Amino acid sequence: MSRGGGGGRGGRGRGGATFGNGKRAVASNSVPWNADPDLVVDGKPSELFPPYDVPQAPHLSKKEDKQVSFFLLFREQCHDGPLYTQARSWTQDFSKPRRTYGQDQINKRYGQTSKATVDPFLAVPTYAQKFTQSERTLPDLESRPFAKEFFPPELHATLDGDDGGGPASKRRKTGPKTLGLSNITQLKTAEELFLPEGMENGSGNLDKAMEVLATMEKREDGEEDGFLSGEEDDWVKENGEEGEDNAEDEDQYDDDSGDDDYNAEAYFEGNQDEDDYDEGGGGDDGGADYM
Amino acid sequence: MLVTQNGAELCALLIDEIYGELPSRIFAVLLNRGRSSLPQLVQYTSMSPRQLRHGLAVLNQHSLLYFDVNSDNGMTVYEPNTDNAYNLARIGKVLEMVDTSLSPSAKDVMQSLLLSGQTRISDLVAAYQSKIDHASNVAKLVKDEGDDWPELNGTNGDVQVVKMPDTSINSAGQLNSVLCRLVEAELVEVIHKKTFLSPQDILRDVEKETLDKYFLAGVKGGKGKIEFQEKVADGLRKVRDESKSLKRKLEQNGTAAKRRKLFSGVGMSNGNGTHEEESGDPGLDPKQVIRINWEKCLVELRNRRLYQFVADMIGENTAYVYAVLLKLLTKRLARCRLDPTIDIKEGEEDIGVGFVTTDEILDNLKTGIDLSLGLGKATKDKISSKAAEVIHEHPPKKKLFIAEAEVDGDASADEEDEEGSGSESGESDAEYEVRGRSSAPVGNGTKVKFADAAAGKEQRLDRPGQLRQHLLLLAESTQHFVRHCGPDEWTVDFVPLMHTLCEAELDSVIEQRSGKPGLRLVRLLRDKGKLDEKSLQNVALMRKAEVQQKMLEMQTAGFVHIQEVPRDNKADVKKSFFLWFCDIEKSATHLVDTSYRTMVRCLQILEVIRQQEKDVLMLTKRTDVKGREKDVMRKEYYDRYSRFRENEKKLFAQVMRLDDFVSLLRDF
Repeated sequence: MSRGGGGGRGGRGRGGATFGNGKRAVASNSVPWNADPDLVVDGKPSELFPPYDVPQAPHLSKKEDKQVSFFLLFREQCHDGPLYTQARSWTQDFSKPRRTYGQDQINKRYGQTSKATVDPFLAVPTYAQKFTQSERTLPDLESRPFAKEFFPPELHATLDGDDGGGPASKRRKTGPKTLGLSNITQLKTAEELFLPEGMENGSGNLDKAMEVLATMEKREDGEEDGFLSGEEDDWVKENGEEGEDNAEDEDQYDDDSGDDDYNAEAYFEGNQDEDDYDEGGGGDDGGADYM
Repeated sequence: MLVTQNGAELCALLIDEIYGELPSRIFAVLLNRGRSSLPQLVQYTSMSPRQLRHGLAVLNQHSLLYFDVNSDNGMTVYEPNTDNAYNLARIGKVLEMVDTSLSPSAKDVMQSLLLSGQTRISDLVAAYQSKIDHASNVAKLVKDEGDDWPELNGTNGDVQVVKMPDTSINSAGQLNSVLCRLVEAELVEVIHKKTFLSPQDILRDVEKETLDKYFLAGVKGGKGKIEFQEKVADGLRKVRDESKSLKRKLEQNGTAAKRRKLFSGVGMSNGNGTHEEESGDPGLDPKQVIRINWEKCLVELRNRRLYQFVADMIGENTAYVYAVLLKLLTKRLARCRLDPTIDIKEGEEDIGVGFVTTDEILDNLKTGIDLSLGLGKATKDKISSKAAEVIHEHPPKKKLFIAEAEVDGDASADEEDEEGSGSESGESDAEYEVRGRSSAPVGNGTKVKFADAAAGKEQRLDRPGQLRQHLLLLAESTQHFVRHCGPDEWTVDFVPLMHTLCEAELDSVIEQRSGKPGLRLVRLLRDKGKLDEKSLQNVALMRKAEVQQKMLEMQTAGFVHIQEVPRDNKADVKKSFFLWFCDIEKSATHLVDTSYRTMVRCLQILEVIRQQEKDVLMLTKRTDVKGREKDVMRKEYYDRYSRFRENEKKLFAQVMRLDDFVSLLRDF
């Protein structure tokens, strides 16, 4: 007996004579196991997901591996550059269907992440938020030179950074703009990030030294920019000494810098003045709360 | 490039992956809506004009846009450059190609160029200069602190080596020479004022100019039309060649090798800020703006692909010979597929890529390559050298009409026989001579020593002969990798060769999808043309049900197509013929589109994984975590992170493999 036309067997014989309740009766002599008592009927339902041989892509060859890592390195560098906009205004919810009908619906997807849409339970400022990268919503066009003759005239003001940022946006002093080359020179795999201690010491110091140098040079130019990494580090350190639960972390931080006397912390230890510090963290609401 | 829906989605995703959401959004809208102006874009995207201007600036900087400024009302319209957007998927390949075929430092420069988009040479030089200064300053500091850093207290030079193992650009002079080499290889092109006009706009401008200049009275008659088209093609070519102005200038200064000798160690000459025509030195004009020339990059990628193919088909050494041949041959070749409006019109003789002589190849072969490997060892009398050395002067003609083709074939065979016999006898004599000589101490000193040392080495001496063998092997292959176009002259007919490769690739796809019988049916159709179902059964010797099932299966997959031919005017469906046929072009475009979709899926999956591993990724990006992940992150997080990295790599590898396929079917 089977419900509706679901089973292939139900419809046979005199089947199809439905009663009022929707059940179908099968004449008792029409089923095969009635005629042949030896017949063993396999009444199991067919498997919904039978084993399927999923095709597997072959492993990466050496060349492919190189190509992919070059691509990934390029992407990293690009994300590090001034023209990349990190901000995602589209909160992706993959449980919902992504199909859209018309431009209006597409447009509605974007601009979802704003102050009004933050999750109130997760949006409480925490200490760790200090360390998250500040997101950029618009590309930083004024930091680098452009070959303006190859841009349409209506974009020229934008390229100069004079594009209606309102009075709030700080005008950078116009010095000679330079094209920055990315400092990321190699793509670190997970293993490299975690495993080799020795390498980290060697090149890490150098990197730090380079960072310090960058900060020094910028200081000499008289630029006071809150985004400079060196200052942020100082800030972190100053703050960290007050943070009880992060004491251990900070100890390690100190240990690291104790190996050599040339690094950001050491350099700025005496130099740090309060004004600077305020400026560095002033813009960040989270910082104030934490304090 | 015509864009399908999947292609458009892919382009937007690629831009999103590399340049961020803002440009990607604008690009997607441009793709959907076509040519639009800024106010229109505001309307479509409901973004602020300020956002749009920023996004458009980024897109334009990376050459992802065409724009046209209307001279009357000053309105600018933008158009998406889909080719360049798709090329983003090839960045890894291009960088790898430059890295291996030129040098790591060239790759570094190339990468900087890709990163910054169109760049003025002076800016690039300044950027590198500041980096170099920076590095040397650091090195100095390190030197001063030498006592504290025991592992680094070497000299200045040592530190440089330790610090910058991969950038390897450490002087302005080196940068200049690397740039020169890139320009010579045409991998870098100059931007001129028409670069950002879309092809249609350029055509419009050139046509207008031609009309104003030569055809004031209008174009009249068939003859006038042809003349007009020639003039337009000339104009288009002129516009196109403008991007090579730097290369031309370099060539005026003599050959590359000579110049490199002269100016090695001499820094970038700063004094020539005037005009490029006046300065006679190799320093590139710092005012020029350069970018990557994707078309030439594609030619190089095609060469590598062909090399790979030969390596698979015949063998490593032969493939190496082929690579050298291709490198020499494609030096002047600017693009893989010729532009029908510009190139085809100008007459048949110019289309050919020229030829390379055996001696040229021999000069460019590395001496370390043992040519005797990979060759069969048959005695001279077992080889029909006459058949092997047949010379085909003309490229194979397309088989349009069978009768005509046969006549052609006969005629050319006759000619070849005559020429072949003439040149070949001389050749073989020479070969015998070489063989005979090699054992006797007549050649130069070193060779004789080798010959004395071991009998096996004897074979290495006959490099020209062995090279010839490899080339003949290539020419003999069924794919016709090489055409023996004259005595000791070799060329490659790219169009038919790539067609063959396309077919082979399609065949392998068909075989995977519908098995051997399906492939057999497709091949039958290709051979016989259009076939009725009944005759197909007869030819294929298969049962009706099988044929029907297979054909339907393949039709849904887009490998075979069906045509309805009515028997009479009424076009009664029951009475009309249904002919199966197989159109390679059609199946190729279909497959390309499917590949786009698969690539889109790969990128979407990546996004989903990213969403799943969001907390780990956020953690690794934190400034306090960077550099000391091991201390901060737990084992569990580390595992997740490494798994994510692995998946990411696999997904991108998949995208690149698909791109291999797409480029073979679409671009090569």
